[in-house]
Amino acid sequence: MNPSLSRNSLAWAVALPPLIILALFFVVPLGYLLFISFMTNSATSLFDVQPTLANYTEIFSDSFYWLIIQRTLLSTAVVLILCLLLGYPAAFYAAHLSPRGRLIMLMIMMVPLMVSNVVRAYGWFAILGRRGVLSGTLTGTGIIERPVQYLYSFEAVTLGLLTILLPFMVVSLTNSLATIDKHYTEAAHSLGAGPWRTFLRVTLPLSSPGIASGLMLVTFLALSAYVSIALLGGPRYKLLVSMVFDSVSTFRWPRAAALSFVLLLIAFIIAIVIQLVVRPQRVQGKA
Amino acid sequence: MSAFILRLVVGIVLALVIGPILVVIIAAFSSGESLSFPPPGFSLRWFIEFFSIAQMRNAFMLSIVLAIASACGAAAVGLLGAIYVSRNRNAFSVMLQMLIMAPLVFPALILGLALLLLYKTVNMSVLPGLFIAHVVVCLPYAFRSVLTSLQSFDTTLEEAGQSLGAGPVRSFLLITMPIIWPGVLSGWLFAFVVSFGELNTALFLTGPGIVTLPIEIFSYLQFQGNQLVVAAASALQVLIILIVLFLAERLVGARQIVQR
Repeated sequence: MNPSLSRNSLAWAVALPPLIILALFFVVPLGYLLFISFMTNSATSLFDVQPTLANYTEIFSDSFYWLIIQRTLLSTAVVLILCLLLGYPAAFYAAHLSPRGRLIMLMIMMVPLMVSNVVRAYGWFAILGRRGVLSGTLTGTGIIERPVQYLYSFEAVTLGLLTILLPFMVVSLTNSLATIDKHYTEAAHSLGAGPWRTFLRVTLPLSSPGIASGLMLVTFLALSAYVSIALLGGPRYKLLVSMVFDSVSTFRWPRAAALSFVLLLIAFIIAIVIQLVVRPQRVQGKA
Repeated sequence: MSAFILRLVVGIVLALVIGPILVVIIAAFSSGESLSFPPPGFSLRWFIEFFSIAQMRNAFMLSIVLAIASACGAAAVGLLGAIYVSRNRNAFSVMLQMLIMAPLVFPALILGLALLLLYKTVNMSVLPGLFIAHVVVCLPYAFRSVLTSLQSFDTTLEEAGQSLGAGPVRSFLLITMPIIWPGVLSGWLFAFVVSFGELNTALFLTGPGIVTLPIEIFSYLQFQGNQLVVAAASALQVLIILIVLFLAERLVGARQIVQR
């Protein structure tokens, strides 16, 4: 047998299992979901094979869905901004620690990242609920008279999402900041730039790939964090992903499929906006 | 001044990220009937309660078994993918890498819905369906770990083995595997942890009698209210993750875990 031929077929044999699994259980189901989003709702089966745009037009012509979309955009924007404002200084701090200190800081960030979202949502449940830590402390110290429910609001959902996603942002930014060549900032200093000027003109632009990838990760995760939104927002504060879930639980499959793609569309639009604002390509491959 | 603000922000971040988890762990050891702060006293009663509820116990066992199985599946498939990607520089290799990494950012809830519809159409049973979903979701983590160690592997070692007469499979198993195994192991551990906490695909893919621990916790919170047994279940989840991280640190070192 020709050795290069057997080498080639071996390479294919190695690539095939991941390719087949992802084709069958990632690409095909998503294609099928897109197909279903253009089919007619059916009371008896998953859908009727009758092409229609109704699932989409009904979403965009319904003012209730517009309200939900606005809310989703608002909460995502607030989460993104807070993630950046809190995550960047934390990552900056971590990146300037000794390698050992940075390792410890990243480990501390990794543990919450691994704990299931439902556990962390429960933590906020326990803090913000009527008999929770916050209400208990405030009544104990006499600041408020009766226990107050802080759950089921914009603030509770945003806070929950923020804490779930902050570690992703910090890890992404720390890795990006730690790889910036020290010579760049030293050069800026020696040319007379103060610490702030150096930061704004050198460090910040050089870390833009980390900012962009962190923000995009946060966007995708914030938009689809159903469980946190359901537990902290309750029936009163729903976002777009809750609508997907509600359509599934009422067996309106084509509607659920269409809502999924609206959600993906919004995610991609936000991702494009992030790319345009942060402009990571100006330093990509140069840092 | 700015150093103080920096430290303050770091403190806020740590409090926000770790606070909720600490509260859960403290609540789990409460001796009280229901959630209240500060807890009236400390006891293990809610852990005993947890294991006495058949649903919770079964969910816990299922999650452990499923996480082990999915981690093995993801590590094996991820290893194969990483071998191809690390040794071939062509358009297909780039595409394969993007495809394997895609579930990392793709909204898992939508993937869960898509898989549910596919499974309903082809009459897939619950357990294999759930297993496959977890393998797909865990794959990026396992793949990335293995790829990192394969990329720093010196392929001339393997060529030496082959020039001495070992076939490609034999030289891989005898030379490459022993060197890259920390990457494979940390990939496996990552996949285990991800599967153990996975919520968003499992939300649609669990069935009657086949429920994972995160989903059981979630439905308890939604339908039975704020019971402390949920805190115990959550604390157990954190405990398992800490054990896995400790093992990972011992076996492959902390550096291997945080480099992503």
